[in-house]
Amino acid sequence: MKRAYCILSATLISSALLVTNGALSADTPLGLPPLIVPVDNEITEAKVALGTKLFEDSRFSSTGEVSCATCHDSDSGFTDSPKVVSEGIHQLTGTRNAPTVINAAYMKLQFWDGREPDLESQSAQPFLNPVEMGLTSHEPILEVVRNDRAYRRMVRRAFSIDPDDVTMDHVQKAIASFERTIISGNSPFDRYRYGGDETAMSEAAIRGLEVFEDDGRCVSCHTISQSFALFTDGKFHNLNVSFDRISEGIGNLTQAYSERREAGTNLNVDVLTEADVSELGRFAVTGEWTDTGAFKTSTLRNIEVTAPYMHDGSQETLEDVVDFYNNGGAVNEGDPINDFQSSGIRPLDLTDQQKLDLVEFMKALTSPEYASSGIAED
Amino acid sequence: MSGILNRRLLLKGSLAGITASCLPLSLIKLSFGATAPAKDFTFAYISDSHIQHIRGKEFVRNWDRGLIRAVAECNLMSPKPDFVVYGGDIAQLALPQEIDHGLEIMSRLNYKTHYVMGEHDFYLDMGEYWERQLGPQWYSFDHKGVHFVVLNSILTYDKWVNKWASGAERMGVMAGLDDPRGSPFMVGEEQRRWLAKDLAAINKSTPIVLFSHSPIQKIFKNWNFWTEDAEEIQALLGPFENATVLYGHVHQIQYNQIGNITFHSAMATAWPWPYPESYAQADNALPVLTVPMNRADPFFERDATGWQFVDVWSGKASVNYSLPQNTSRTVAYDFEAGRPVDTKYPQSLLAPQDHY
Amino acid sequence: MKHNLTLFLIFSVFSFHGVPAAVADEFTQEDIDVWQAEYMAVVQKGRDLFTDPALGNSENGVICGQCHPNGANTHPETYPKFQKQIGRVIGLWEMVNWCLRNPLEAEPLDAASPDMTAIIAYMAHERRGVPLEPGKH
Repeated sequence: MKRAYCILSATLISSALLVTNGALSADTPLGLPPLIVPVDNEITEAKVALGTKLFEDSRFSSTGEVSCATCHDSDSGFTDSPKVVSEGIHQLTGTRNAPTVINAAYMKLQFWDGREPDLESQSAQPFLNPVEMGLTSHEPILEVVRNDRAYRRMVRRAFSIDPDDVTMDHVQKAIASFERTIISGNSPFDRYRYGGDETAMSEAAIRGLEVFEDDGRCVSCHTISQSFALFTDGKFHNLNVSFDRISEGIGNLTQAYSERREAGTNLNVDVLTEADVSELGRFAVTGEWTDTGAFKTSTLRNIEVTAPYMHDGSQETLEDVVDFYNNGGAVNEGDPINDFQSSGIRPLDLTDQQKLDLVEFMKALTSPEYASSGIAED
Repeated sequence: MSGILNRRLLLKGSLAGITASCLPLSLIKLSFGATAPAKDFTFAYISDSHIQHIRGKEFVRNWDRGLIRAVAECNLMSPKPDFVVYGGDIAQLALPQEIDHGLEIMSRLNYKTHYVMGEHDFYLDMGEYWERQLGPQWYSFDHKGVHFVVLNSILTYDKWVNKWASGAERMGVMAGLDDPRGSPFMVGEEQRRWLAKDLAAINKSTPIVLFSHSPIQKIFKNWNFWTEDAEEIQALLGPFENATVLYGHVHQIQYNQIGNITFHSAMATAWPWPYPESYAQADNALPVLTVPMNRADPFFERDATGWQFVDVWSGKASVNYSLPQNTSRTVAYDFEAGRPVDTKYPQSLLAPQDHY
Repeated sequence: MKHNLTLFLIFSVFSFHGVPAAVADEFTQEDIDVWQAEYMAVVQKGRDLFTDPALGNSENGVICGQCHPNGANTHPETYPKFQKQIGRVIGLWEMVNWCLRNPLEAEPLDAASPDMTAIIAYMAHERRGVPLEPGKH
């Protein structure tokens, strides 16, 4: 199994909060900024080794068949492309398309609705979801880790503790450390824009970059900066993807879910098991009207290999996505636009050539290590 | 702030370090319940949409979306507001199609709405079409023990009104906020006489809430943040124990206390305006009390725009600003201090407020 | 004759200015007045463009002056600076083009075009007297 495996030796400046070393170390991929690593979870080879094993272990599910890697498969851009929504135990489906782990370490918030603040806390959730791993508590995970000889050795090496004392905190830290090594840049775009190689992208992709930055208005949310490009502003926007499923009666839905939140409910379970709660997007997390139907801007890195697209996987190809935006946020021209759509979305009037070029540009965002995973290039 | 369940949180007394969300709902209701003569209630306040016609059936999408969003969010309010007030400037050039398009969007609101005249609704035809669609330009009504007054406070000198070749030209000049050929707003003698008579019948302990498009203060003449006869209107409100003026026009958060009168401005749904101090070539009198709004991300189409809902209790108003992708604000009346106070940013400014 | 011609020339130069003759490259107050008038004409043109619904063939007729009365909040004194939305350090003219493309739904102007110069002249003029603070966000 191919995997982008690079160990960062990031120097940490002492502070109570997350900080980063300002200097670009030799290990930072071209086109990415230095990685922010939490002060309390320095990346070490031992933690990464442990995290890798945990990530791939399907014993941490009620059927023994599902691991993190099931939906975040390194052969498919760390997603389960081409699945529309993910399938957990017993092939149960949820409501959302699996986001990639690649460069998730750069996200300020995790999940489509940003309900978890970091990789550590995100990693604990799927184990307990009835349509993902289906466990009722984390105890089975700790059981396995405590009793497996390989794990015992790795835990001792990673955390210098007695393996009998292992907790979910350690498990989460190890998984997060592994995920922090799944970062990649150095795509044709990166070499063109930051590496000074004018031949790195095709003519079409170069034209597509211009569309991306000008007529396409993509760069408004899929950001490109002076010395790096994350292709996401980290914010939440309502694009009008599938919102029509809940438009009617949105007042009752928001009211009802707010009451459930106040009373105490399991957000993580709700959003994956109830389709209409899922469509509320970030509103379900914050209760703010302004977040109604809003989802996090995905990165576009490696987008070619992580189809299908949008929070519910409802858009199959990059061409579909471009058409959607060109129509002003509508699958078919003239479809109704919901009232909460981000005001920045508007019909683009792109020519057919511009649309083709834009797709070519997006294909130039694939890092070499993922170039032949997922959808094959033709 | 959860727009839905925290909205009745109002603060009494010293606000240092306490945010609305820390206090449990029941405690708040208890501390102001029984002693207040007027009942507690909430209304929504939407303003300054500037629906702008381009051609045919096309309108400026950006302003349309701002109003559409405000209406959609307002419809999510729970418990429901008692009514809605529209603060003026529903149109940009007072064209019938602009007024109609704006009213069509507003008609999606599930509540009764009272309208206030703005200059962008007026100067094309001196308010004729607006009046045909919406009724009197000034009026009053009572609700749960509070006396509400609506004025047309964007009138101006007859001489200026009459000097233009056409209504369109006149409207075009008034539409330019910084156009030096403009003329200062006023309420005028006719309405002052009407107001005096209207208020004469009201008990001095009845809370008064006055809606106006212009500020009923003299803040910045360059941009018509100005009412020529502000002092006279303030004097008419003087005898009342509790008077509040709510105004639009400025497209930014402002608040003030002059004697017994508390002033609050409304945000625009369309676009924000800079604070007067950002024009280096003129002086201004922005209320010292005002903590500037947070320009979280000026590139965001809806930055520093929004709408508000007003909680009225014990005769005073607490304005809750709902701002897209931004921290919502509440400017509440502090009974101990005797003036409105921002509950989110009581003292030091964030970078995005200081910068502007 | 030559002597008289020289005298004549010197005399005419004196009588024209009433002061010792300026050397060819030196500019005079009159020159300054002329140039200042040229500048103010461009500032006025900038103001006209700032309030022109057809600027950049705008699709929607929105003008700069709607959000920036008297050019307020354009902060010309802070450029060049890192502009978050564009993701890099830019000059003021690029910001004008961002506004043209986005809220004004119009076509961008060439950096060197007289229209761009006029718009910038207007913004700078309304901001005169404010100290430079390049890079200030």
